Amino acid sequence: MAIHMNRRTMLALAAAGAVSLATPLAAQDTALRLAFIPQENPEKLLGDIEAISGWLASEIGVPVEGFVTIDHAAAVEALRNGDADISFMGALPFVLAEAEIGAVPLLSEVYRDAPSYTGRIFVRRDSGIGALADLRGRDIAFADPISESGYLYPLAEFVEARLIDGPGAAEAFFGRVFFAGGYQQAMQAMAEGLVDAAGASQYADLLLTPQQQAQVTWIAESPPIPSHVVIARPGLDAEVQDRFTNAMLRLNEPENRDKLRYLYGPDGYVRADPAAYDGVRDMARRYGLLE
Amino acid sequence: MIQKFLGAFIVALASALVLSGPVAATPAKEAPWLPEAAAYRLTLFLGNLEPLPWDDVGTAWAEPYRGSEFSVGALAWLDGNSDIGPAPLLDAITREDRQAVFAEATRLIARRIDEELDRAVMADDPARAQQAVRTARELYRSFADGIAAADPDASRRIGLAWLELNSSTGSAGVLGAGATPASRKTMEAAREVISLYLAENYLVDDFAPRRTLSALPETVVLSGRTIEVPPSLPPGFDIFDQDPLPRLVLNFEEQGIDETDLPLVAYGDMLFDSAQIFGNPAQGLGVACSTCHNRSDVNQRLFIPGASHQPGAIDVDGAFFNPIFNDRRDDPIDIPSLRGLRFTGPYGRDGRFASLRDFTRNVIVNEFGGDEPTPFMLDALLAYMLEFDFLPNSMLTPDGQLTEAAPEAARRGEAIFNTPFAALGDRSCSSCHVPDTNFLDRQAHDIGSVALAYDGARTGAMDTPTLLGTVYTAPYFHDGSLPTLAAVVDWFDESKSLGLTGAERADLTAYLETVGAADEPYEAFDAENTAFRLAFSELTTFASTLDTLLPQRDAKHILLLTDTVAADLSADASTMSNLAARPEVYALAQRLAEVGDAVRTDDWVAAETSWTAFKSEADAIEERAF
Repeated sequence: MAIHMNRRTMLALAAAGAVSLATPLAAQDTALRLAFIPQENPEKLLGDIEAISGWLASEIGVPVEGFVTIDHAAAVEALRNGDADISFMGALPFVLAEAEIGAVPLLSEVYRDAPSYTGRIFVRRDSGIGALADLRGRDIAFADPISESGYLYPLAEFVEARLIDGPGAAEAFFGRVFFAGGYQQAMQAMAEGLVDAAGASQYADLLLTPQQQAQVTWIAESPPIPSHVVIARPGLDAEVQDRFTNAMLRLNEPENRDKLRYLYGPDGYVRADPAAYDGVRDMARRYGLLE
Repeated sequence: MIQKFLGAFIVALASALVLSGPVAATPAKEAPWLPEAAAYRLTLFLGNLEPLPWDDVGTAWAEPYRGSEFSVGALAWLDGNSDIGPAPLLDAITREDRQAVFAEATRLIARRIDEELDRAVMADDPARAQQAVRTARELYRSFADGIAAADPDASRRIGLAWLELNSSTGSAGVLGAGATPASRKTMEAAREVISLYLAENYLVDDFAPRRTLSALPETVVLSGRTIEVPPSLPPGFDIFDQDPLPRLVLNFEEQGIDETDLPLVAYGDMLFDSAQIFGNPAQGLGVACSTCHNRSDVNQRLFIPGASHQPGAIDVDGAFFNPIFNDRRDDPIDIPSLRGLRFTGPYGRDGRFASLRDFTRNVIVNEFGGDEPTPFMLDALLAYMLEFDFLPNSMLTPDGQLTEAAPEAARRGEAIFNTPFAALGDRSCSSCHVPDTNFLDRQAHDIGSVALAYDGARTGAMDTPTLLGTVYTAPYFHDGSLPTLAAVVDWFDESKSLGLTGAERADLTAYLETVGAADEPYEAFDAENTAFRLAFSELTTFASTLDTLLPQRDAKHILLLTDTVAADLSADASTMSNLAARPEVYALAQRLAEVGDAVRTDDWVAAETSWTAFKSEADAIEERAF
């Protein structure tokens, strides 16, 4: 199949035409294509893709190919264009993809026994900042504007506390609002004193040095956010979806758990509950991202 | 982006710059380095060694650094990702011109940052711009610690510029939803802040001569100010505990005696885990006795570029840890186990120290540049280390005979082990590895395993090592040149012409593997019995010596303890599974730090009060400490 190159880093196709041990699947005569989004080093991700796609191919009964996209948006476009069958995705990009192209949630990641996490507002312990109101006129770093735990949910805490009128009014409350490019960068900016606060995942302080972790605390926490999700393009054969989902669920079994590290390192997967993402859909509407 | 919180805390080296006060022995894992940034940092590190390992410098640029996530080295990476040619740098390396290598490498990295900044500003979509900013920033990490140490204002200004730059790249949203445009003007202004600083400090035509290679900015070097850059290890280092963690067998503990009732031993246990007893750079890096000797055994993964020739080995009298003790010989040794230490003298691979006390002082003062330890410190360290016992092995009796649990092949091997060979001067393996004295004879022998340093040298004798516990301490020989016990058997058979058949070699190997085995060689952890629980138990035990030291008003040793344990407790909290209990552990660490603060101001009442509170709070959170 021809692959559209728009907005995609075609780093390489990690083809995994492994000899399949499972029953071949008549409905899928071409390879199942998985889109991955790099978190750190795309080259490392390529190695991970090769390892996991080989295993998936043997479990599902069809060849599995993986490729790296430059970001969530490119992965969604790949699903829309039919260049990808399945993608790994944050909750917010998923609900946008669902609305735009009818993407289907298959699996949710599990961390520390829950398919959800929270966003927090972190500050330095010695900052004297004890409440959200103390951040009036101060600077804050978020991860990315299209990040649920690294922007939308933490910012909503300020709306909830009636400190800002709505998502568009953040600049009026804070001194400066930065998008640092990721949790680590936002947390580092806060820990180093470049900004007064950071909005990031509840686990983002683990990205700091052990010494820095002791120097930071959090002053507000969002409601639970459904964790990242594995989604399929609309129209993907139902049996293929089932086989893929069942194979991924076998990663929870002790003998397969070592392979989770090839997939962003969650503790496991559960079947996705579409209703679990209602809160994200509401949040996206509040921010004007969904109609 | 939940994926980013991986099990381990992975952080940028630059972030270690905010460290202040006592340094904990809990090292932080680093974020991966870009290939050319890694090569640069390795060049700085290796360039400060005497004699300078030029081959290693060349390798640093040609090959991926140890543990790199990139499959190619810096040169290949540059070839595929940059228009900047490395020819001047390679020429300088060929000429072995240290100053020129520094200058060319520094300019190369600065140009790469500018190249990526150009790409960011020129990018036609936010994702590509952000990718270029991210790359530029990862390259800037090459210089970040030098700038932060020397020019905090510039460090802050540039830090804000990175934030500004990334924020102004805009966002593509998802299928148009949430898209925000880039602000070119802001991007260019922010990039200007970074590029101007690079031009003034890292892109200069003639760098001032460097006695020590570092990432310090040129303007600061020219000012003549003395700047201490916090010590760091280059990409590829590994000073983390081995996994699985060796089980520690302490004689008193096996007898049911509580360490808190042995304050001298407990204090020595603390010192064994304390980087404070060493000088810099070991102290600043958090290197302690236990870094190499995990739980009295070895650390098979320890590796420091330029000081290790392979994992589990280190040259402790090289240029890095204590230059005045540099013997200018590239002779790293395989880290020896300290199990059964009271039976294994003399000490040192060649048995150069008859006294464990002398050996220990040499490690502290000479090998790792620490201050002269007090008699109490040496007494405590020895009291602790003399409790190290061998791992119990149900296949062996206390006098070194095989039990019924031993396999048949080992019994056949035992006979070979005890057989005198003419080629060994009518001696047997057991002549030196005497079974009823813990498989050693406490003497040094030259078995031909050491390449002689000069004609007529008598430097090949090495102290006979015990065979107990050796299944878990591979590789073997003083330099770790033999990977397995089978390889050791082959070496003796071939070099001594013993004439063993294949079956006999297999039997002899089986015997060694039986003698060197253990019933429980490693610590067993589970959901609540975690490595942190073990650390918490140890650290609170160390602190218990305050019950002895506070009444004695022994300020020096109290402060050594509180500085070490408070910092370690706080740092170790980052490894907790029970994240909800972390704030309590931080508060507990603070309580111990308050003991130290009070002692520093001679306020003994406050010190006693904080200590009492510590004990009570430690008891209260013990169950949640996992």
